[in-house]
Amino acid sequence: MTAEHATLPVAARVRRLEERLIGAGLVTGEELDEILARYLATASPVNGARLVARAWADGAFRERLLGDANTAVKELGLSMGGGLQEQRLKVVANTPRRHNVIVCTLCSCYPIALLGPSPGWYKSEAYRSRVVREPRAVLAEFGLRLPEDVEITVWDSSAESRYMVLPLRPPGTEGMSEEQLTGLVTREGLIGTAAV
Amino acid sequence: MSKPAYAPGDRVRTRAADPPHHTRLPRYARGHTGVIVEPQGAWPRADDRARGVTGAPAETVYTVRFSARELWGSGSHDVTVDLWESYLEPAGEDR
Amino acid sequence: MAVSRINDVGGQTGFGPVPLPERDEPPFHADWEARVFALNSALVRRGVYTLDEFRDAIERMPPQDYLAASYYERWLTAIETLARDKGVVAGE
Repeated sequence: MTAEHATLPVAARVRRLEERLIGAGLVTGEELDEILARYLATASPVNGARLVARAWADGAFRERLLGDANTAVKELGLSMGGGLQEQRLKVVANTPRRHNVIVCTLCSCYPIALLGPSPGWYKSEAYRSRVVREPRAVLAEFGLRLPEDVEITVWDSSAESRYMVLPLRPPGTEGMSEEQLTGLVTREGLIGTAAV
Repeated sequence: MSKPAYAPGDRVRTRAADPPHHTRLPRYARGHTGVIVEPQGAWPRADDRARGVTGAPAETVYTVRFSARELWGSGSHDVTVDLWESYLEPAGEDR
Repeated sequence: MAVSRINDVGGQTGFGPVPLPERDEPPFHADWEARVFALNSALVRRGVYTLDEFRDAIERMPPQDYLAASYYERWLTAIETLARDKGVVAGE
């Protein structure tokens, strides 16, 4: 076994690997195309945003989402079961006294179905190493400065649960429709590096 | 599968040993005392699945909360980590 | 002092500021990344290896290689390693 192939330009390495795996009958080109197409079409932070908007608008749904998120998301036609294995979804609610932020220090686990592809910063060693140790400083780098009396909980996704933050509903949004509320929610808000 | 060994509010201590294989107990949380938040359900251990052990029994995974002070010696935040039951042992009240 | 694998970075110092969010960041920065993503999904779905074996293969990278590699380069290395380890592709 040599490492020669590791010095090929990476795209060539990938092509070579793909050819060998297809040649060995382990995958088909169609399968790969279908996986990509489905992923790109379905995984989006708009899904998480819709859940948040519904929870803001409907207190009973909020309680169901916080109590059993895997079941509650189905009410909006969403599912945690579309990927390689159904993961347990846990939604954690921000309050005026507590702010939540999510990380996977060991790799980059993340609820892709509800948040879309994970951003580079979430996967970085800098975020993964620092947010568990100095979350307030990390959030400040994102422009989120929390009052000192707001406590922070960092959730490290080290096993089979995936986490999503339910941000606080911003003031002045009382008259908004659910669709308008959905538009307020960002991916950073769902991870906890923004207020919403 | 046997019933969960720990209940919400129980104080637990994580194992301190560094395994030579894949595990999901991060180094920063080894040998520390925390509190059970809730059991999450049961899954075969990642340590076993990574080594190709088939038929490994499902074991309860818990959300365990640690204070920053416990983990780092300072800080006012909490960190929760999701841990398999065999990563844990009961902590005494005076620890 | 506990020791661990290179991926286990929680609390480790020296990594600097968190990279800024990229505006309109695409899911993949190159076609090859998308192919790697799809390959991994397909192989796990087919039972060639588990996600846990995949993570383990990434963690077994020499530390300097892990840190120098981009995210999907790590995935690629892991798939190559597992394909070799499981004899599904001739070693080379």
